Amino acid sequence: MLIELRDMFKTYEVGTQQVHALRDISLSIEENEYVAIMGPSGSGKSTLMNIVGCLDTPTEGSYLLKGTEVAALDDDELAEIRSAEIGFVFQTFNLLPRMTAFQNVELPLIYGRAARHTRAERVWETMDAVGLRERAHHRPNELSGGQRQRVAIARALINRPSIILADEPTGNLDSVTGEEIMQVFRGLSDAGNTIILVTHEQYIAEHATRIVKLLDGRIASDTTT
Amino acid sequence: MGTLERASPGTGFRQGSAKAMEFRETLLSSIRTLRSHKMRSLLTMLGIVIGTGSLVSVMSLIAGLNSSVSAQFQSVGTDIISVSRYPWVQMGNSDAYKDRKHITLEDAAAVGRLRSVGMVAANIHTRRHIAHDGRVMKYTLVSGSTAEYEIIDNYLVEEGRFITDLDVERRRQSVVIGADVAGELFPVRDPLGKEVRVGGRRFTVVGILKSKGDIFGESLDDLVIIPITTFQKAYGSRRSVVIDCSPAEGVPIERTMDDIRQVMRTMTGIVGLALLVGGIGVMNVMLVSVAERTREIGVRKAIGARRGDITSQFLIESIILTGIGGAMGIAGGAGVALLVKAVTPLPAEVTVAAVALAAAFAVVTGVAFGVYPAHRAGRLRPIEALRYE
Ligand SMILES: Nc1ncnc2c1ncn2[C@@H]1O[C@H](COP(=O)(O)OP(=O)(O)O)[C@@H](O)[C@H]1O
Ligand SMILES: [Mg+2]
Repeated sequence: MLIELRDMFKTYEVGTQQVHALRDISLSIEENEYVAIMGPSGSGKSTLMNIVGCLDTPTEGSYLLKGTEVAALDDDELAEIRSAEIGFVFQTFNLLPRMTAFQNVELPLIYGRAARHTRAERVWETMDAVGLRERAHHRPNELSGGQRQRVAIARALINRPSIILADEPTGNLDSVTGEEIMQVFRGLSDAGNTIILVTHEQYIAEHATRIVKLLDGRIASDTTT
Repeated sequence: MGTLERASPGTGFRQGSAKAMEFRETLLSSIRTLRSHKMRSLLTMLGIVIGTGSLVSVMSLIAGLNSSVSAQFQSVGTDIISVSRYPWVQMGNSDAYKDRKHITLEDAAAVGRLRSVGMVAANIHTRRHIAHDGRVMKYTLVSGSTAEYEIIDNYLVEEGRFITDLDVERRRQSVVIGADVAGELFPVRDPLGKEVRVGGRRFTVVGILKSKGDIFGESLDDLVIIPITTFQKAYGSRRSVVIDCSPAEGVPIERTMDDIRQVMRTMTGIVGLALLVGGIGVMNVMLVSVAERTREIGVRKAIGARRGDITSQFLIESIILTGIGGAMGIAGGAGVALLVKAVTPLPAEVTVAAVALAAAFAVVTGVAFGVYPAHRAGRLRPIEALRYE
């Protein structure tokens, strides 16, 4: 099993108040699954993604990633997992604005300690995979929304992660561009990647092979198509 | 992390896990960030350039004169100028002189460097009991002086010698006693080489002054003179120094006084201002930089940066900035000082101390505003950093 969440809770303390963002989540995801996570705003989708992506840790319960208990790891160990195992795609792209597309894509390789002579080739290969070779030396502000998201996807892919996490990747794109981006994910899934994607839109979710619906921090339904 | 090895092929390019990022990468990344944020880098550097630059130039110009005084001037006798914090005759309340910062020995040295100044003596005084062998003179004037005082204040030595440069330099416990003191404490014996207590401290008599008589019924011989440095060691260095000086040969006394006045005025708050401007500039820009980059830090962490990767990047960035800025400031400040020296009567000397202090300022700025934010940046939790707007 790639991902195994058991009886997992996430509670935020806001002043004296407790916000139960996730309650009693148990969820298993296998390699090469393509999972869409749906649910109304505030239902805990992003919180779940952040925990799965090792950006955050559960308050309670267990998260096994390839059999390793993630809740027990320290900051640097989590960073290593993010580097080697996780590829993030954000709704707002989160590219570094002063770097070119090429440099943005290369960055995870540097943090992954890839030897320099191997890097350029990897970057070009990945830029090709998302169809952006011509735009490699442009900065994000010289790119369209769809192109930026392709750069972000390339950046997420470059270290060949076990899981690709995308939190509303089409949320800031028009529907045509969104559909193009979904085609990219489709290709990645077909190539054997594991993808977890958050979306509000039913038509986006239908690209996935499994739909998990959250409501008030709980899993309301989990259907495989 | 063995359990997390990728099953799929292609992870061969990820090498050893505990390995530090190549220094070259961190350096390149820092340089790239600095270059791509030219305005921000420039602003940060500007603060340091201004800070170190004004430090070096001001320190060179006044060569250690660090007080901001509007000194009291008076011509004593025909050709002696006396610079003191307080006038000889005070009118009204003494609060009027409170704002005048005290004059230091370094001020005296700076006045001495003026081309229009001939000889300079510095002195400080207080009153203490003087004792020898059971005899005591109460509230005798104790004057801490430099060697030049002998000539400037017209003292004649009856026996022995006056305070010398070596006495001052070594802070010796040497004392020159006035005629009254000699007569009172040593009615029969020769005072030379004997020990007297000045305010309880032991001094050796090295000289006896000729009598100066009295003025307005007060004896001018009821005093002892000790090295000014010894005085400061014994009674503290917080008393304001009185500078007595004579104009250089052939220079009208008014011109000398003008020059001294100018030196004294130059100091007014400049050092404080320089430090303030530089420090605040650096602080502002660095803080803004860290704050506005919180999200960047979150992104970097999300894609695999470790704590140390972030910390070293920020650290190297500020080291580069303070290094370049500091060097530019020191060079510029020295240039300004030398220029001023060339075109005005102000003395300037680019001292090692000034350069060292400026470099230290740059380093401290780098440390205070670089290391700490870098550490903070490294410790930021990715999720919170990403949330930051
Ligand atoms: N850092 C946080 N501090 C406090 N409350 C939070 C924090 N993050 C999320 N929450 C709360 O947790 C709940 C779930 O949030 P989130 O996972 O962002 O929902 P979604 O992505 O489904 O819109 C919401 O009520 C949100 O306000
Ligand atoms: Mg969300």
